[in-house]
Amino acid sequence: MSAANQLAALIHNMFATGLLDDQFQQLQMLQDPSAPNFVAEVVTLFCQDGERIIGELAKLLDKPVVDFDRVDAFVHQLKGSSASVGALKVKNTCVQFREFCQQRSKDGCLKTLEMVRINFYELRGKFQTMLQLECQVNGFPPNN
Amino acid sequence: MRPEERNAAVGRVRDQFPVGMRVLAVDDDPVCLKVLENLLRRCQYRVTTTNQAVVALRMLRQNRDLFDLVISDVHMPDMDGFKLLELVGLEMDLPVIMLSVNGETKTVMKGITHGACDYLLKPVRLEELRNIWQHVVRRKFSNCERANIDGYEECTRPSNADFDHVHSQITGGTPDQSGRSSKKRKEYHSEEEDEGEESNGQENDDPSAPKKPRVVWSVELHRKFVAAVNQLGIDKAVPKRILELMNVERLTRENVASHLQKYRLYLKRLSAVASQQASIVAAFGGNDPFMRMGAFEGLQGYQSFASSAALPSFTPQGLLNRNSPTSFALQGMSASRPIQIASNSTISHSISDPNKYHLSLPGTSSRQGNLAQGLTTSVGQVQLPQKWIHEETDDLSTILSVSGQANNGVPGTLQSVTNSHLLQQGLVECRQDKVVIQPCSSASSDRLEGTVGVSSSLMDSCASQQNVVPLSAFSISASPMNGSLCSNGVAELGATSSVGTNICPSNDLRVARDNNVGASSFGSVILLSPDTVPNQKYLNFGGGSNLRQSMDGGNTDNLLNSKLIWSCLPTSQPSNLVGSHHPMSQRLNNGNLGGTMVGQTTAAAPQTRIDMFTSGDTPTPKSASDLSFPKVHSELSSSSCSFDGLLNSIIKVEKDDASFSDDLGCDFYSLGACI
Repeated sequence: MSAANQLAALIHNMFATGLLDDQFQQLQMLQDPSAPNFVAEVVTLFCQDGERIIGELAKLLDKPVVDFDRVDAFVHQLKGSSASVGALKVKNTCVQFREFCQQRSKDGCLKTLEMVRINFYELRGKFQTMLQLECQVNGFPPNN
Repeated sequence: MRPEERNAAVGRVRDQFPVGMRVLAVDDDPVCLKVLENLLRRCQYRVTTTNQAVVALRMLRQNRDLFDLVISDVHMPDMDGFKLLELVGLEMDLPVIMLSVNGETKTVMKGITHGACDYLLKPVRLEELRNIWQHVVRRKFSNCERANIDGYEECTRPSNADFDHVHSQITGGTPDQSGRSSKKRKEYHSEEEDEGEESNGQENDDPSAPKKPRVVWSVELHRKFVAAVNQLGIDKAVPKRILELMNVERLTRENVASHLQKYRLYLKRLSAVASQQASIVAAFGGNDPFMRMGAFEGLQGYQSFASSAALPSFTPQGLLNRNSPTSFALQGMSASRPIQIASNSTISHSISDPNKYHLSLPGTSSRQGNLAQGLTTSVGQVQLPQKWIHEETDDLSTILSVSGQANNGVPGTLQSVTNSHLLQQGLVECRQDKVVIQPCSSASSDRLEGTVGVSSSLMDSCASQQNVVPLSAFSISASPMNGSLCSNGVAELGATSSVGTNICPSNDLRVARDNNVGASSFGSVILLSPDTVPNQKYLNFGGGSNLRQSMDGGNTDNLLNSKLIWSCLPTSQPSNLVGSHHPMSQRLNNGNLGGTMVGQTTAAAPQTRIDMFTSGDTPTPKSASDLSFPKVHSELSSSSCSFDGLLNSIIKVEKDDASFSDDLGCDFYSLGACI
C-alpha cells in the first residue's frame, strides 16, 4: 500500500471513528500554496498545546483543594482548540468535563480527565502517523 | 498576505472592498489563533494576531487607526474578552467581534450588551468570516468624513504604510511572547492606574486590577451616570454631585471621577467627529453652536425650527406632476433659527469631487445669534423644489435646486450639484456615534391612521420614561400630516406610508433603544436629546417635511414608485423636547405600471441638528439594541446612486431600516433599487 493510500485510509478512518469532524476538512481546504504546511502546523500546535493542558489539569486535580474555575478555564481552552482542529471526540469529552467542573465534582473531573487523555493520545498518535505519511507522500521532511 | 498581494490589494481596495481589511485577531489559544488567522487571510483580510488581550489593547491604543476590526476570544487569562470589548468600545470606535466556543445564550448576550457587533462560535467557518466586513462598512461609512464610497479607501490609505511595520512586529512576536508580555502587562498596569480604577472591569482576570473593590459600569449604571451628568450639565458635573445624584451604593467618588474623565474623553471624541461634519452641518445652517452640539454645551438655548403648524399646506405638484420640479410648501415653521443652508465650506469640498455635494444657498435666512430667547418667529414657507437628473453611469450627478424661504420669509435658493452625500453623511455620522436611532412605527399605506396611533404610542412609552414629551402635541402634529397627505391626493393612490416618530428623551438615549426593540418600526429617525438641564431648550430643528421624489427618466405620468418622506415636526413643544421628527414615507407602489419612474421629492428641512444632538448623548456602545439598529451605514453604498438633499438622511435612515426590516416583515424598498 502506498503512502498516499495509507494516508487516505488513515484519514478516512479518523472520520469514520468520530475522531475528527468536518472542521478538519475545512483545515485541509485552507491548505494551499500560500500555506503549504498549514494542516501540519495546526495539528502540531494542537498536540503540543493539548499535552500541556492535560498536564496542567492533572496538576490542578491532584491538589487537595481543587480550583475548579481554573480547571474549567483549561478545559474550555482545550475545547476551543479541539473544536478548531475538528477533534470531535476530544471536544465532546471536554463538554462532559466542564459539566463535572460546574458540579464541582472532583471525581467526575478525574474520570473525564482520563477520558480526555485517552482520546487525546489516540488522536495524537494518529495525527503523528498522518504527518509522517504526508511527509512521505510529499517528499519533504516533517516540518517539526 | 505576501507583500505583492498586499500592494495589489491596496490598489484594488475600491473595487474589492473587503480585500485588505485590517483585522486584529486576539485569542490566547494558539491553535484557534492559527486557524483563525489563516481563515482571515483566506478572506484576503490583512491580519494581525496576538495571543494576549493586553497586547491587543496596547496596540489599539497606540495605533487605533491601523485596524478596521477586532476579533477577540472571550476567555483569555490575561484579560477577559468582554473587558477588552468594553475598553475598545469606550476608547476607540472599532467594531469588535467576539468569539467563543461557548454559545450559551447568557454569554452571547453578555457580548452583545457589552457592545460586540457580532458573536461567533468556534470553530469559526470561512463563510462567517467572509461576511464580517459588513461591520466595518457600517461603522466606517458613518464615521468617514466623506460619505461616498471612496470613503473607505481614503480612510484606510494613510495608515497602510504603518501597517506593515506593525504587522511584522507583532506577528513575528510569538517566540518572545513571555518576555514581551510581562513588559506589556506592566505598561498596561500603569495606564490603567492613570485612568483610574473604574476601567478595571468585572472579571478578576484583569491582571492590572488593583485590589480595590471593582466597579462594573454596567449599562444601567452608566445610564444613571449619564442622567446625572446631564442633569448637572457636563461642565458643572463634578464627581461628588454626580455621585449624589446617582445614589448608588458602594460607588465611590473616585469611581465616578475616573468614569467622568473617560466619559469626557468620549464626548470629546464625538465632538471631534461632529466638527468634521461641520461643513456638512453648515450646509443646513449650522454655525458654530452646532458644531458643538456633539458636546452638551452647544445645545443650550436652541430653539429650533419647531414647526408650529405641521404641514398645513402641501403642494401636490410634486406628486402629480413628476416632470416639474416638485415643490413642497411647508408652512408654519416657527423657527427661531432659520433654515440656513449656506455653507461655503461645503462648496470647496464638493467641487473638487464630483461625488460631493455642492450646496450653496444664498440668501438664506438670517441667523439669529441668540436663539435661546425663545423667539419663535413664524416663518413663511420653505419651498424646496427639486429636480433630479439621474444619469445611468456610476456617477450620478444630480442637480438639486432648492429654493428655500426660511425665516422671516427671506427667500433663499439652494442649488446643489449632488452626486453623493455630504449631507447625508453628516447625519449618518452623528448617528453613528452611538446615537440611538429609533426607528419608529411604520405602517403600510392603507393604515395611515394606524400609523399615527402607533407613533403616538411609542411616544407614549418614551414619554413615560422621560416625562418630557407631551403626548398630545405629537398626536396633533401627526394628524395634520395625515390630513395634508390626503388632501394632496397621495393617499388615494394607495400609498404605503410609514410614519416614524422619534423621541429621545434627553438624558437617556437608551430609552429609545428599549422601546424599539419590540416595535416593528423602521421608518425612521432620530432623535436625541440631551437635556434635562433646565434652561436649555431644545426645540425641534428638523422641522421639515420631506417629500422626496426621484425621477428616473421615464414615465412621468405615473405615480408609481414614489416615496414620500415627510418629516414633520411637532408643534412647538416645551423646552425639553429636543427634536422629533415625524418622517413619513409614503410609497406609492401599488399600481406599478411599468414604473420606470421613481419619484422622490424631498422637501427638506434641516434635520441635521438633531442628529448632532445625538452624538452628544448616547454613551453606550454597549447596549444591546445598538446592534439591532443599523447605524445607517448601508446607505452610503446605495447612496452613490442617490442623491439628494437634506432629507436624505431621513430617507436614508428609512432605507436603512428597510434593509433590516426583513425581520420585521416590512416591504420597504430601498432607494437604491428605485434609482
